[in-house]
Amino acid sequence: MEKSIWKLKAGQKCVITEYHSELSPSYQTRLKDLGFHPGEEVQCVASPSLGAPKLYKINNAIFALDHQVAQGVYCE
Amino acid sequence: MFTVSEILLIGTPNSGKSLLFNKLTGLSQKVANFPGVTVEVLSGIANFNNDLKIIDYPGIYSMTPISTDEKVAVENFRKALGDENLDLVVCVMDATRFERGLHFALQVVQECQAKKKPVVLLANMMDVISKHKVPLDCKGLSEALNIPVFPLSAKTGVGISDFQNEIKKKVVDLDFSKQCIDDIQNMDKATLRKYSHDLSKKYSERDDILIKSQMKLDSFFLNTWTGGITFFAIMYILFQSIFTWAVPAMEAIEGGVEWLSLITLANIPSGVAHDFIKDAIFGGIGAFVVFAPQIFVLTLIMGLLEDSGYLARAAVICHRPLTLFGLDGKSFIPMLSGVACAIPGVYAARTIASPKRRWLTYFAIPLMPCSARLPVYALLILTFIPNKTYAGLIGYQGLAFLGLYLFGIMSGLLVTAIFSRTKLAPQSDLPFVLEMTPFRMPSIMPIIRSSLNQAKSFVTKAGPIIFIVTVAIWALGYFPNYGEDLSSSYLSHIGRAIEPIFLPLGLEWKYGVAILVSFLAREVFVGTLGTLFGIEGADEQVTGLVESIQASDLTLASGVALLVFFAIAMQCVSTLAVLKKESGSWKLPVKIFVTYSILAYLGALLTYNLISVM
Repeated sequence: MEKSIWKLKAGQKCVITEYHSELSPSYQTRLKDLGFHPGEEVQCVASPSLGAPKLYKINNAIFALDHQVAQGVYCE
Repeated sequence: MFTVSEILLIGTPNSGKSLLFNKLTGLSQKVANFPGVTVEVLSGIANFNNDLKIIDYPGIYSMTPISTDEKVAVENFRKALGDENLDLVVCVMDATRFERGLHFALQVVQECQAKKKPVVLLANMMDVISKHKVPLDCKGLSEALNIPVFPLSAKTGVGISDFQNEIKKKVVDLDFSKQCIDDIQNMDKATLRKYSHDLSKKYSERDDILIKSQMKLDSFFLNTWTGGITFFAIMYILFQSIFTWAVPAMEAIEGGVEWLSLITLANIPSGVAHDFIKDAIFGGIGAFVVFAPQIFVLTLIMGLLEDSGYLARAAVICHRPLTLFGLDGKSFIPMLSGVACAIPGVYAARTIASPKRRWLTYFAIPLMPCSARLPVYALLILTFIPNKTYAGLIGYQGLAFLGLYLFGIMSGLLVTAIFSRTKLAPQSDLPFVLEMTPFRMPSIMPIIRSSLNQAKSFVTKAGPIIFIVTVAIWALGYFPNYGEDLSSSYLSHIGRAIEPIFLPLGLEWKYGVAILVSFLAREVFVGTLGTLFGIEGADEQVTGLVESIQASDLTLASGVALLVFFAIAMQCVSTLAVLKKESGSWKLPVKIFVTYSILAYLGALLTYNLISVM
């Protein structure tokens, strides 16, 4: 089932399927440049409390994505 | 055969490029900004070859820019590729995050091929790769691409001599026209990404050892309790360091300037020249050079935090609450620094990648209750607030201080919250996607060197502007009666002329003059007011001045209005000069100056009228 990567809990993995159409094209470009492109496996490695950005592992790097961005990346 | 005399370093942020640049150039560096943006280009002469110039380009995430800063950086890189003096492009990759580094490197290769410029790749951070025994086949990659790939560690120096030797020969035996497979230039973005993915898989093993150790530390530093306590402890040290660590050096500078002034003035007879050298030259120099240690200390600590990887974690912790005010996590440290002094705060804001959020942070910093406001607050609080306590515990004067601090911070946040929702702020924004670089021991020497450069750059770039304004204010206060009586100087004429502006606040011309002079620096207000009330040394001993003000006609409403005025007004030439330097034009400092002058006046007027009718 498709969901945004913001919904992932620490330790959960999924494969990126697409971007939400409302996510700005320039943001999509940057995410793809950093490795968040459809077909790639992403893992949530930390989910700090109080709505702080979550940490995601992609390829061999870790990125913090805030709610606004992570909600625009779908995976299953 | 190919002779190399100018090379350009490029790479993604945190690829270790700047450290390598420091190793290759030593101390011979020059800093320059691209016009209009906070994007710095460094250049220096190689310490192993005096004929070789090395240019260090800012870290770029991709050749597809998405912000104005990135656009300027990429456009200038493309322009540099067309420069016939440029002989070689060196792309630095972080070997610990190989696939991403390679993806960017291939984009650079595409650009270089289009302009027929030779390129070599450096796989940096090999010390970490070797430590964890991660296989990385640089030779195989080099053969696959037909591009030299040098494995090295800018930190330990391993491999640097091999790279230097190639360059030192001044002759690279490679036919650069045949570099790389022909297909690369025609690859679209998706194909290039897949190609870098395949190459990375073939020549490097995806290894999670580094990630695992990083995750353990992150679970500590981002935990609600352990992370929260560590965060506050580190911020406390940072804040205290700006206030206390810099003080001995600041006092030494003040003493040095005073000593130099005495030596110089010993042989100069009294008169205009004597007074000009004493007050305008040495007074002016002393007034801004004294900030250099604070800039050094803040840049040093920021550098250590950034290089260790902690700064990214601090930004994550602060991000959520600051987004409510249009800012992001990286705005916190500049604003905190601004509580000590706006100047290092403005410098610290250059770590904010988003032009919009950096602009908003610049707007918030001057409202932070900086230390220069303290003497003014102290004078007015001592004048109007009784030295009594509530229930023997809470002092009214301390409470007033706290109220003023909170007022400043809340005003800053309110202003950014409003501006972020208008078209006044730049619309160029970047998503909050922050790479969590691995924790590592900071490289001390390059950070010290860069902090010294920052302090030096402040003195040389902002100094002349501050000096000109200081001389102008001095001349207005000195003439036409040669400094005999400030109350009959041109400055006081101006003060009387603008008295109608301050009368609605219940302030007579003396306050108008003191406010006018305090646009140079807030703390000057107390000394000037002391002079106008005929009290010498009022800035060091305020009791006499407090009594004089209490005996004058100044009402409580006017006193509180003055406090509100000083809490909002942008009265610091040094900060304006630094804002001009950092933003690349006068547009932003003028906008901030005008906005806060109007807001300060209206806020003071409203306060005066509200208290008067109560």
